[in-house]
Amino acid sequence: MLFSERSIATMMHGIVFGGAPLMGLAAALFYLYAARAKGPGAPDRPAPPALAWVTVATAVALWFTVFAGTFVVFPWYRTPPPAGLADLSQYPRALVLSNPGTAWLHGFAMETKEHMPWIAAILGTAAAFVTTRYRSRLLNDDSLRNMTMLFLAVCLAIVAWASLLGVFVNKVAPVH
Amino acid sequence: MAQTVGAIEPGVREGLVNGSAMAAFLGGGIGAFMLGLVVFLNETGAVSLPALYAPTGGLSTRAVLGVVLWLVAWGILHSRWKNREIAPGPVYKTTVVLIALGILATFPPFLKLF
Repeated sequence: MLFSERSIATMMHGIVFGGAPLMGLAAALFYLYAARAKGPGAPDRPAPPALAWVTVATAVALWFTVFAGTFVVFPWYRTPPPAGLADLSQYPRALVLSNPGTAWLHGFAMETKEHMPWIAAILGTAAAFVTTRYRSRLLNDDSLRNMTMLFLAVCLAIVAWASLLGVFVNKVAPVH
Repeated sequence: MAQTVGAIEPGVREGLVNGSAMAAFLGGGIGAFMLGLVVFLNETGAVSLPALYAPTGGLSTRAVLGVVLWLVAWGILHSRWKNREIAPGPVYKTTVVLIALGILATFPPFLKLF
């Protein structure tokens, strides 16, 4: 078989569940910026239902990403090898730690990926809640819109950063 | 902490006041901070946490505990603010600080200083 079940699950975690929020967050951010009310005389109008759907779908994808990463892929990554095993290719954590040149992929990259994406899921959920519940005033209330954009932007930065680090780790020590 | 501008008048639709949004924002900030605090205390050895799910190790406990604390904080804030208009400035400033601290506390180079 070209891809093992573990490899497919890792791709689902990184590309499908992790990639969807990258697109959703970028789209929601762009819409909130582009559709802001122009000046004090601008007519009030609600945000479209599609914006709420995008943020909710993004939040759901974020939770799938962190749960799949933490409880499915991470255990495969950290499985310790049997003592004395020379070929560490099936044990990603041991493989990256075995080489001083790649040890940072665990000490920095993977340890960043362990915790920070959970913050993104929390912030993405809060933004989705506000976007859905306050659809009628989101575009016309600067304070609500700006804070929602800040949450989405921080979320996007974290997801992009974690995704990049994930690519590095999986390039050197893929889960087979 | 946030200043309450005023309670909503009876009959005014709940969604029109900003209390629920402020609760979601501040709750998110508290969630980020609490997750960071749990990670910081556990990774620096100040608090030992058993693994909820052995294959994942301590990460399972840190993550689940952080999420539970976030949901509790959000729930309490929501129940208190849902019918009120809240001054956004203090909420935003507090939230931004909490998020920054939460991110800092989960940043590995920072944790290695301790």
